[in-house]
Amino acid sequence: MEKTLKPGIHRGVSTYCWYQELYWDMDLEDMFMHMQDIGAHGLEILADGIIKGYPNPTNDWLDKWFGLVEKYDIVPVEYGHWVESRMFPDRDYTTEEAFEMLVHDIKLASFMGFTCMRTKLGVIDGDLNPVPNWREFIKMALPYAEKYNVVMQPEVHSPTKLTSRMVQDYCEFIDKEQTKYFGFNIDFGVFQTKAFEDPERVGGRRRPMDPSKPEDIIPLLPYVHACHAKYYNMDENFDETTIPYVEVVNIMKEQGWNGWLLSEYEGPYKKVPGYSTTQVRRHHVMLKRLLGE
Amino acid sequence: MMLERDVVQQKGFRNLVDENGNIWGFQVCIRQKVYRGTWLSQFRFDHLAVDGVKYGPEDCTFTISGIEYTYAEMGKYDRVMWPIDEMCFIKVKKPGGLETGAHKVHVNYWEVRSYLPPESTARNKDQNEINPAMTSELIIV
Repeated sequence: MEKTLKPGIHRGVSTYCWYQELYWDMDLEDMFMHMQDIGAHGLEILADGIIKGYPNPTNDWLDKWFGLVEKYDIVPVEYGHWVESRMFPDRDYTTEEAFEMLVHDIKLASFMGFTCMRTKLGVIDGDLNPVPNWREFIKMALPYAEKYNVVMQPEVHSPTKLTSRMVQDYCEFIDKEQTKYFGFNIDFGVFQTKAFEDPERVGGRRRPMDPSKPEDIIPLLPYVHACHAKYYNMDENFDETTIPYVEVVNIMKEQGWNGWLLSEYEGPYKKVPGYSTTQVRRHHVMLKRLLGE
Repeated sequence: MMLERDVVQQKGFRNLVDENGNIWGFQVCIRQKVYRGTWLSQFRFDHLAVDGVKYGPEDCTFTISGIEYTYAEMGKYDRVMWPIDEMCFIKVKKPGGLETGAHKVHVNYWEVRSYLPPESTARNKDQNEINPAMTSELIIV
């Protein structure tokens, strides 16, 4: 992405926004057309739901992929994948097995044109602390990430706080290894301060969980290549009602951050045809305003 | 072939007949209820129930992308995926099959997700029992 784009903050969309429609009312090409409409060229895919035949797509599918990417001026930004740990009924994945799975995804992501990966790690507890061997398989994979030029990024996701030990551990690992090929994706759900109505949830509401402060992002920005610009409720005035977007985006601008904001709608009514699309479009009206485009 | 919205699919619901014309069981097709595919070794199945009668993993086989697996076999395949946009065909052994008419079909399955807390996976079985999305009324003709 650095090679082809001016520095600054760029807009993109995750396929997650439409996962309740992508297999019924729309396909990947429909999504690309929406992205072209709204000028959000950066793409995040969830690899296993988008790549037909994952983890081993055919050349025919890959040819179609490249054709669509070119036709709709898509920038493949982030390849969403998982490094599994609790894999078998009777035992967990070994470090070697996790490494093999990770390298396979690095190669496929690179071939498809992605520059970073949302590398979801297995967790061991309710605070989402990663598996104890994460440093080992990530370190083993670093030469591959470098060779194939993709950055591995675990996601920092609510209820994890930006000031947590886990995030410090990631930073210390990166500093120690002096690598550009490991970072993290900050999911804006960590900043959620207000509840929203969600009839699909028990209790009908989703409440914030001990949010991080917008300024907590400042020391972390050098490690971040793409963020999940999470939103739960875009109102008809094009404002997000649960996350302090103005503060967060202003801080990122002031800090001169370069990277991608990948739109990720995680509110209710995703099964209602068109609902997610309205939310995505409202979100990008807001982002354009905040970014001064 | 397109998926239906409900977890328990209407299409594919039928009695199964052997080469001698005897009904040996029935078939139910399901889709995934999450946003990603499932590695076969992370698939967990407690039971399928028709009108309250339960059928466990030993009574069933699972056909994914044309390959039929026993439940024990699925646990060995860590790099084969049940794709998000495909049905899993569950074949249930029941000599004589199901009677013509409407049946309440409930399926209790889930997937282990390494990226979520282990305790959230453990809750799936009980949650499925009270989740209306895991039950549909289907018709055998």
